[in-house]
Amino acid sequence: MTQILFPETLDQAVALLARHDEARPIAGGTTLVAMRNAGLVDSSHLVSLDRIPGLRGIERLADGRIRVGAMTRHADTAASDLFTGSLAVVRKAAGMIANKVVRNMGTMGGSVANADPAADYLPALACADAVLSVLGPDGAREIPILTYVQDWYETALEPGEILTAITFPAPEDAPSAYRKIARVSGDYATASCAMALTPDGQGLRVAIGACGPGPIRDVQAEAVLHGHLQDPQAVAEFAAALVAKADPVDDVRGSADYRLALIPRLIASVLSDLISAKEAA
Amino acid sequence: MAKKALFTLSLNGDQTDVAAAPDATLLETLRDGLGVLSPKRGCNQGVCGACTVLIDGVPVRSCLTLTARCEGHEISTMEGMNTDPVMEVLQRHMVASGGVQCGFCTSGMLMSARNLLAETPRPDREAVKSALSGNLCRCTGYRTIVDAICTAAEELAQ
Repeated sequence: MTQILFPETLDQAVALLARHDEARPIAGGTTLVAMRNAGLVDSSHLVSLDRIPGLRGIERLADGRIRVGAMTRHADTAASDLFTGSLAVVRKAAGMIANKVVRNMGTMGGSVANADPAADYLPALACADAVLSVLGPDGAREIPILTYVQDWYETALEPGEILTAITFPAPEDAPSAYRKIARVSGDYATASCAMALTPDGQGLRVAIGACGPGPIRDVQAEAVLHGHLQDPQAVAEFAAALVAKADPVDDVRGSADYRLALIPRLIASVLSDLISAKEAA
Repeated sequence: MAKKALFTLSLNGDQTDVAAAPDATLLETLRDGLGVLSPKRGCNQGVCGACTVLIDGVPVRSCLTLTARCEGHEISTMEGMNTDPVMEVLQRHMVASGGVQCGFCTSGMLMSARNLLAETPRPDREAVKSALSGNLCRCTGYRTIVDAICTAAEELAQ
């Protein structure tokens, strides 16, 4: 029988997680309660982050960075006007998660902590160079998104640590987009692509989702591509570099081979959208 | 037998005490503890939408909501909508258009539709479809449901 605990501060939550070996934090519940309903959760305690002040909301910091509290719901992220330019990709990804009712419940922190490879936030966060703030028994630390996912459903979070916030660099004046291929609207991605043009219009940041344990991004290949966006051969070579880093599985949403075939097509198509957006601006 | 927890819930405007498992979902507590049967247990995974209720006016999945976190919040189900004028119009058009067949999805559909009309009084057809995209129906093929909500919105706008 699982007990639900409601700490009122983050320190209390960390202490509760340390006290009970089998305890785990719960945010919006959209994944963890579904797993509980399927008989897949045997935690002695769930430590709800629901009543801890300061974990909800999106703010612009003094230096222009955008900070999202871990308990911020997808609906609030999808409606926020703080995600402009290079960060629009985060807002767009939030608006494509599941459906309207689930977006009223699920949170960015819960989704990122769960690290489902086919969920929408991880590629968007990887494209936007997010930094994750974490609090645990040994204090606070920060994890850059590109070192966060270590294997399938395995992250840099240590037992007893709580993801408290996600911070993004100040938005740049450059278009960004998120696209996913899914069986139906609201499904997890078969493959997804988060992309931002650099402000000079000459380069890209690209992350691919649902094609490996974590989002796929190749900063070196992005540097090689810089200045050659109009060259189809250069774009194809860039896409091939990401395909080479992919490690997809066969599942109900598509075969591994199908996913590998989607990657270059997604990149070409989202790139073409962004270049049009840049020209229209 | 595992020990039950006592919860005090605010349901459709009334304070109610109910005993349930400490980790019971709101759906389990409503149906099994309180006999409130309009929220349906379909997938129990948050996908089908048949269990949709309002918490503080916001539609949520009761199957994915822990009862424990509902204390101190206002829960609304179809049982509390009898005097809601917008719901009355929605229900009438659902019946008239044939949007109700087996009825299993209907209360969830109407909760989503009610929320849509509260936010967007004159939705176009695409907005209606988008608002219902988290509510599955296996009978109607959806067209009669979308028709009902569009005609209800027209009547309400007059």
